[in-house]
Amino acid sequence: MTAAQHGDALALDQLLDELAPYVRRLCARIAPAVADDATQEALLAVFRGLPSLQAPEALVTWVRAVTVRTAMRLARRADREVAAADPAAESHASSLEGLVDIGDALARLPLPQRVVLVLRAREGLSEQEIAATLGISAGTVKSRLYRARAAFREVWDS
Amino acid sequence: MNHQLEQAGIDPVDRLTVLAAALPGAAVRQRRIAAPYDAVWPVIADLEHFAPRYEPGVARMHVTERHGERLHLLVGYTNGREEPMEARLRAGWCLMQSATVVVAFAARPLGGQTLLAHLEHLRTGAPAPEPTRSRHRRAAHAKIDQELDTIERLATHDRD
Repeated sequence: MTAAQHGDALALDQLLDELAPYVRRLCARIAPAVADDATQEALLAVFRGLPSLQAPEALVTWVRAVTVRTAMRLARRADREVAAADPAAESHASSLEGLVDIGDALARLPLPQRVVLVLRAREGLSEQEIAATLGISAGTVKSRLYRARAAFREVWDS
Repeated sequence: MNHQLEQAGIDPVDRLTVLAAALPGAAVRQRRIAAPYDAVWPVIADLEHFAPRYEPGVARMHVTERHGERLHLLVGYTNGREEPMEARLRAGWCLMQSATVVVAFAARPLGGQTLLAHLEHLRTGAPAPEPTRSRHRRAAHAKIDQELDTIERLATHDRD
């Protein structure tokens, strides 16, 4: 890690091997419609920021935060573009046609609810870790999780 | 996408862009080469035979050890200096590093042609201040463009 931070390209290459699958998985779960772009943008942000990372032992936490924020930004942008192209389009949560699996059901939740549920149920993070990742309070995480679970059940049971 | 080329969930050309983001001052160019991937990549992968032909400062390159993707190289420069390098070489990805330089190639098929990206980075010294830095960048890009020209020629009709 220290070698990578000091511009050792082979160490950076190795680090990319280790981080890319995790970054891709998070992006695919949070921003499935734009997972490729989100993965590339998140990795660029991570590798640009590596030399200035003060606490290398916190690498995974930092990579997670950068990735989640990048994926959310691109997912919002994609949602805006879809809405602008077709203002009559149904929201994800209410569009149930073709629902095939849990990932599909998650993808149909509103973004803020999808993110907390992905981080809690699929990535196994605690409410405190989710709060730190998203830069919100633990109380907000708790209430979003409550609404997300209810919305997921609604989507799944339909 | 060719799965053989997609390592650790990232396309090689995208991978090169990410690597460059962590190497301030790195010069990167990419180009569509008018030859299929199967003709272009062997030019990159056969380091001993082809590197001295497209890299103007290199007189010879020898693979001294090979363990799977990992290679140890000895590079002889045209000024007589020799330098060991470490490398990682696999389909669509070649990364070489010495104490002084980083050189990388990434390629993927693009229709019947090839998208080839090339990075060069000097590891020594702090980045020069502007406007010297811009001048160095322009010179580095011109050098890489010339190398890509040569690689295209080698891949299309000048193999021997």
